[in-house]
Amino acid sequence: MSSSQQSIEVRIEGYRDVWVYCEHEDGKLTRPTTEVIAGARKVADKVGMDVVGVLIGYNLGDLVKEPIYYGADKVIYCDDPRLKDYQVLPYTTVLSDMVMRLKPWALLFVTSEIGKDLGPRVAYRTNTGLAADVIDLIVEDFVMNLPTGRYVYKDCIAQVRPDFATRIAKIFTPKHRPQISSVRPGNFTPLPRDETRKGEIVRWEPRFEEDDFQVEVIETRKVPKSEVKLEEAKVVISLGLGILRDASGRPRDPREAFRLAKELADLIREKFGVETEIGASRALIYAGLKELEGLITKERQVGQTGKTIAPEVYIALGISGALQHRVGMQRSKRIVAVNVDPNAPIFQIAHYGYVGDLYEFLPKAIELLRSM
Amino acid sequence: MLVFLLTKAVPARTTRVVTVGGVLRREEMDLVINPLDFKALQAADYAKRYNGGKLVAISMGPDFKVKPLLSELYSHPIEGVDEAVVLSDRRMAGADTWATAYTLSLGIKKVLDVNKAAVDEVLELVESGAPPEKVLERARELYHSNLLPNLIYTEKPGLPQGVVQRYARGNARAEEVREALERVRKELDRFLIVAGLKTSDGETGSTGPQTAEALSGVLGKKIPDITHVTDFEVDVESGTLIAERKLGSYVQKLRAPLPCAITIMPEHRPGVVPVVRRKRAALFSYRGKVREVRVWNADDLGADPSKIGLAGSPTIVGPGIDIGGPPVQKFVGRTKVFTQRVEAFEFNGQRYGPFERFAKADDLPEELVRELEAKGLLKTFDLRDLLEEVLGGVVVAAKH
Repeated sequence: MSSSQQSIEVRIEGYRDVWVYCEHEDGKLTRPTTEVIAGARKVADKVGMDVVGVLIGYNLGDLVKEPIYYGADKVIYCDDPRLKDYQVLPYTTVLSDMVMRLKPWALLFVTSEIGKDLGPRVAYRTNTGLAADVIDLIVEDFVMNLPTGRYVYKDCIAQVRPDFATRIAKIFTPKHRPQISSVRPGNFTPLPRDETRKGEIVRWEPRFEEDDFQVEVIETRKVPKSEVKLEEAKVVISLGLGILRDASGRPRDPREAFRLAKELADLIREKFGVETEIGASRALIYAGLKELEGLITKERQVGQTGKTIAPEVYIALGISGALQHRVGMQRSKRIVAVNVDPNAPIFQIAHYGYVGDLYEFLPKAIELLRSM
Repeated sequence: MLVFLLTKAVPARTTRVVTVGGVLRREEMDLVINPLDFKALQAADYAKRYNGGKLVAISMGPDFKVKPLLSELYSHPIEGVDEAVVLSDRRMAGADTWATAYTLSLGIKKVLDVNKAAVDEVLELVESGAPPEKVLERARELYHSNLLPNLIYTEKPGLPQGVVQRYARGNARAEEVREALERVRKELDRFLIVAGLKTSDGETGSTGPQTAEALSGVLGKKIPDITHVTDFEVDVESGTLIAERKLGSYVQKLRAPLPCAITIMPEHRPGVVPVVRRKRAALFSYRGKVREVRVWNADDLGADPSKIGLAGSPTIVGPGIDIGGPPVQKFVGRTKVFTQRVEAFEFNGQRYGPFERFAKADDLPEELVRELEAKGLLKTFDLRDLLEEVLGGVVVAAKH
């Protein structure tokens, strides 16, 4: 920045509060929604604003109190039989109408099928920016150096997202409000649910537009719940392409690694009473190995195109740790890396390293744990 | 039926990405078609073969880079695209999803306008009572420009003569020509936009729904979108799309009127076009492929300069930051750690500690390490220690 340039402070006035679009399923807020409320709390407290939970649906009942229990100060809800099922057009109309009339400072979605559909449409209709797949939210000034001066946009949200070009990028929406983001699950810890928390609950009357109901929901059916609960596990043991060979380079049956990892997982679950799950890297899943059919499926994938998780313990077995993998697990509290290659990038972010053969590590760990 | 494929040229290698101030310099990189767009192309190809019509690929980016890539789509995967347009202008550079959606919506509108104008022109000729030979002549020209389907005029062997051809020979009434043209005109309004789930560079998945929203504004009529589509059937005659889409732990089956926009999940597999649809598809298809990729700039589109490129983008990419490293690293078989808690002490006039059990001692002065080792206070971190420390913490955390 040049010192000869004049510094011009810009504040966008007239917008208040951090809104969270609250997703709900089967009468409950989804877990990622409670995470986003915690993220909103962090930002709102920094700038002295309120967190507002926005709920849209039908027969919401006591659900309208839930955002408050999870840390919101206020709830705005729209309850209408025509909003029973999620549908992009009427939901966009209702939410955009709220945004344009109540002028929130920020609006946060969950990165989900709804967040990735409703978020972009509302952002376009309300003429503002959207940062997708955000992993952190930081309040800071945004500085833009132009020939006419150094413009300082006060108190913006740096919407942090993984970016292959610069590793991590900060996206700003300096001149438009609200600042809209979709937040990836697994990046904020939900606040403990507290039924004693109080807050204002406001009902919103929808004003639909013509053509809002041109799409018809023919059927809604539940997908059989996955047995794999990566996001909820406290310990995740993840397998990478390294399981195909041992330290001497000899090919190994990957089922052996899966069996050993599962044995370790079962042992941890039994000994410590914590949920333990098997994860996998994208490389291993896309290798499409016959031997691992039905064992290593897409729902186990950790990383940029898979799941973002933050367990207490993450054990990476034979995973080199490409950036795309790291963004999916780097927030784990304790990262243990097991790899034969001491230069594998995974060691740069690991808290614990084991340079060696995972086919030695696993049996030894199982044996030790049994004796402990 | 007009089927639009939204596609993007993305950097071929993530290791060689050129950015200036957070904006990708696409013109300086090796580019490829976004991998997930091939799933969208497959789906769009299916929709077109099922209904007839044409498949038009639209992309935004520097034309000299994007044109050769779009050319590859003409034979992919079964019939491929019939026409391709690249929206290219320096003023479009640096666009975020908002500005991209606006620009793409104008491109779609222009394709629609050009096709409608062709049908309207023939319609007017017929209605103004122009001599049938004149109608025939104009229809032939428009057919060769790929703007009228075989139903109206054709030179394809194996197909019945077009209605205008029969009209010129006195085998069809003006009324029949008008009806056929109006039918074609109506179907032009029942288009489908297909996009991939997301791109490999931006990874946002926002452009599909935002283009539907932008186009709603441009056409003055709400256009729905359905994202995360796993299965669909589209029938231009009834003007409906039936799609299944993922929605949390549910699958939603929807019936939407055309026009509509969809984004395709990677697991989507197109069905087989039934034989009974082939005749219809052939009649409503066009002459063939226009292999010369068209290039339209901001002026061709009549774009508002304040809504395109960097100027029209509400979001700005700030400077990149590094992912923070871990505070302490312990390696099995290498790191020296304390065997027990050691209270604070002084050594060579320096204060140290206190140290907890398993605290890392590698960073202490060599002399001190030797002394601590002699006292049996240090050991090499082993697998048992790792398990105890790592999993011991889990128990504490689980109790909360």
